[in-house]
Amino acid sequence: MRKKWLFSLLIGLLLFPMMLCQAQAQVKIGLMAPLTGSWASEGQAMKQVVDLLAEEVNKAGGVLGQPVEIYVEDDGGDPRQASLAAQRLSTRGIAAVIGTYGSSITEASQNIYDEAKIVQVATGSTAIRLSEKGLKYFFRTSPRDDEQGLVAANTLKSMGFQKVAILHDNTTYAKGLADEAQTLLQADNVDVVFFDALTPGERDYSTILSKLRSAGPDVVLFTGYYPEAGLLMRQKKAMGWDVPFLGGDATNNPDLVSIAGKDAAVGFMFLSPPVPQDLDSPEATSFMAAYRAKYQSDPASVWAVLAGDAFKVIVAAVQDLGSTDSDKIAEYLRTGLKDFQGLTGPIAFDGKGDRVGELYRVYRVDGEGNFVMQP
Amino acid sequence: MQLFLEQLTNGLAVGGIYALIALGYTMVYGVLKLINFAHGDLFTIGAYLGLTLLLSLGLTDHLGPLAGIAVLAAMVMGLVAVIGALLERVAYRPLRTSPRLSAVVSALGASIFFQNAVMLLYGARFRVFPHDLLPTTAITLFGVNIPVMRIILFATSLLLMAGLYAFVQKTRTGMAIRAAAIDQGAAKLMGIDVNRVIMYVFLIGPALGGVAGLMVGLYYGQINFTMGWVYGLKAFTAAILGGIGNIPGAMLGGLLLGVIEAMGATYISMAWKDAISFLVLILILIFRPTGILGERVADKV
Amino acid sequence: MKPATVLNIVVVAVLLMAPYWLNPYWVDVLNSIGLYAVLALSLNIILGYAGLFHMGHAAFFAMGTYTTAILNTQFGIPVLWLLPLSGLAAGAFAMIVARPIIHLRGDYLLIVTIGIVEIVRIALVNNVFGITGGANGIFGISRPHLFGHVIRTPHEFYYLIFAFAAATVLLFVRLENSRFGRALNYIREDDTAAEGSGIDTAHYKLVAFVLGAFWAGMAGNIFAAKMTIVSPESFTFWESVVMFTIVILGGSGNIRGVLLGAFLIIGLPEVFREFAGARMLFFGAAMVVMMIFRPKGILPPRARTYCLDFLPETPKGIGR
Repeated sequence: MRKKWLFSLLIGLLLFPMMLCQAQAQVKIGLMAPLTGSWASEGQAMKQVVDLLAEEVNKAGGVLGQPVEIYVEDDGGDPRQASLAAQRLSTRGIAAVIGTYGSSITEASQNIYDEAKIVQVATGSTAIRLSEKGLKYFFRTSPRDDEQGLVAANTLKSMGFQKVAILHDNTTYAKGLADEAQTLLQADNVDVVFFDALTPGERDYSTILSKLRSAGPDVVLFTGYYPEAGLLMRQKKAMGWDVPFLGGDATNNPDLVSIAGKDAAVGFMFLSPPVPQDLDSPEATSFMAAYRAKYQSDPASVWAVLAGDAFKVIVAAVQDLGSTDSDKIAEYLRTGLKDFQGLTGPIAFDGKGDRVGELYRVYRVDGEGNFVMQP
Repeated sequence: MQLFLEQLTNGLAVGGIYALIALGYTMVYGVLKLINFAHGDLFTIGAYLGLTLLLSLGLTDHLGPLAGIAVLAAMVMGLVAVIGALLERVAYRPLRTSPRLSAVVSALGASIFFQNAVMLLYGARFRVFPHDLLPTTAITLFGVNIPVMRIILFATSLLLMAGLYAFVQKTRTGMAIRAAAIDQGAAKLMGIDVNRVIMYVFLIGPALGGVAGLMVGLYYGQINFTMGWVYGLKAFTAAILGGIGNIPGAMLGGLLLGVIEAMGATYISMAWKDAISFLVLILILIFRPTGILGERVADKV
Repeated sequence: MKPATVLNIVVVAVLLMAPYWLNPYWVDVLNSIGLYAVLALSLNIILGYAGLFHMGHAAFFAMGTYTTAILNTQFGIPVLWLLPLSGLAAGAFAMIVARPIIHLRGDYLLIVTIGIVEIVRIALVNNVFGITGGANGIFGISRPHLFGHVIRTPHEFYYLIFAFAAATVLLFVRLENSRFGRALNYIREDDTAAEGSGIDTAHYKLVAFVLGAFWAGMAGNIFAAKMTIVSPESFTFWESVVMFTIVILGGSGNIRGVLLGAFLIIGLPEVFREFAGARMLFFGAAMVVMMIFRPKGILPPRARTYCLDFLPETPKGIGR
């Protein structure tokens, strides 16, 4: 067996000299992210955050006296490429892997990591079923759709809205959230007067807004992403309609305000796990200072920051255990990690690998375009 | 009824942009019988170049909004036209005598290249145009609230299209383009420099695509590197719908596609919108196999 | 032995031995290549032999994949039993959609096939008939069993996929030289003349579509088995473009060319992984460069040659 491996290594080196990597002792952590394709902005932000944190760890002497090395693979936002990226990462001797973003993309890689016994900490994958399969090595720092759906329904009810329009964009995430919210609202006899999807990636949503307006809702729940949310707000203002909008956590992105313009974005509300900008924990403030110093901007989205959280819990596990053994890491994350101070607040995982705790806050955009956390 | 009128204006506004981009497809196709899949990415490049020039030169500060944007548009048209002509030289000219689909693959390669080049140069994040450039007032017509900029946008696309039509119909160069579209060999024999005609086509088409990108950027405010793929496919559909190779056909196809989308989304289903437009396209092509204004091509014997 | 035979033997031997040397990642890259080779070969019937501008092959691939996914997860039918059924479903779908559009010319057919793939994808996303699972897709497709053995690792899938690919190649070589294959070539070269020579062109084109779709549907079955999840993201217009590119860039109408195309188009982005975010930039440039230097594809089909037995020997320069 050993001989075969050596032989394959030799051939591999002959065939692909570019694959040459140094054999120095290091703690290897994988990052699977959409570096190309339509979610490239998220993937590149994930990489920025993780690179920054890895640099900090290495400056402080590394983990277990060894430097941390990040192995990045592009999943292109496509299931087939994701399974290849996962195969590639699982041959790299990594201790754990961070990612990825889309739920169905993560799902395509889950089995591969599970069979290779590699701990996977997903960052933007909120679909419920990912953690319902009883996979031992799967964790996520992002919340689940059902949790957010519940928060969305409760928020809308407590604000006293009677006629709700729900708009999603037919992605796994947005549709899942919209379905959850619709079921919960209808169970409480709140009238859902509109339920349909827009096509993401377009520029003109006036048609959709006109149709929405004709349904006469008190409030619109938009479960899609910030580029569309920004355009909706902007075009809503242009057509002179002032209905309140509540967004899901995918709208939590400073670009929303720059797309919509301050005067159009004001009053927009959204649900989200807290972003480091809003937390005064030392972890959050020092991270924000370092991030701004290095990249001259705020992180592109909360999902990228959750990749940073994934990195932090993996490093913490390896540090505390003094080992990169997958079984030990998985066991530690499930039971040993309590109230770990992450970038988005305290982190702990339940038996399924989901993040525990009430994460969601309601935010509102003020006149200056800032996101203000509501009490 | 009011909803119908409102959606009609929405559809026409979007359709105007489709039509403007479709012209680039149709002109190239008319002369070279090539589907230039990279055309959508030239549209993206137009938007990004426009943003860069706008931010770096501060034209609107020095010249005022109207003149500033006009100068900006002229610069974008010029630059994108040069890129278009270069594209033709590098990626298409060596393939002119090859099987037609080879050039299509080259075009797809160029499209991937441009798209990723924009991503690497400008980043994958959405880029945003300044907001205070354009007026946001709206007027009410027949009970429908229409932002003034929408009307200006639509009028500009109509104006550009009319200008192109006049150019192709009335000038000598236009005549040469039409001649080369009908029969390149014969055009050569009549003393027309076909290479030059092709270069003109690759200057004009991308220029229109680029300025459409700038208009989208200015009006909608938000651009990213994949936008060309979406608009490009829609515009290609529009060109086919009207009858590819036919300039009034591209205009009609663009406007019609915009209206079909708006009506489909309103009265049938928003989530199925694109499927509905493709279905209508297929139905139209079943009954008119060369598009609405396309000429019937007789089988050669 | 002819040099071509030697080459064939060497290639087959290397492919048989390859997994022995490679780690699971590279084996999985080969699996992807094998799958796309089968898909591209099936597209080659329509695009290469019959010369129909078809850029919507992902629609048929999707039909096969979803047929397997739905029947396996709903009724627990073993995956490999569904191989022919997935093909039939895709073939039947092709028969229905291709019949009214078969007479369209060139680029009009191109956009209609793009339209079909988009309609199929949107239907899948919108959970049509409540059976496709919407944007989530379908998960939990069981692993295939063969002779009581569960196929699970990339190495095991490798032999399944390459056995299927080998069967495809052998069959399609026969097809190429059959009456049917020659008729399709005639249609590609001159539609009107073919019609004039008594070939029912509409019928032959339709059969080409159905056959290509049938094979793509079977490839979909194996794809579903390998991924164990299916979602609409796998069947975008872009996937059709990839298959289209493999055929044209490899050498449309030539089986060897198409196989080589699959290696390049699926393999190169993996080799370019070292460039991380810039890998698709290099890939796009590589496509343009390859087309410029080999305008008819890397291995264009050779003109058919026939040896006439009454000549003592084929003169030099003919037949090669």
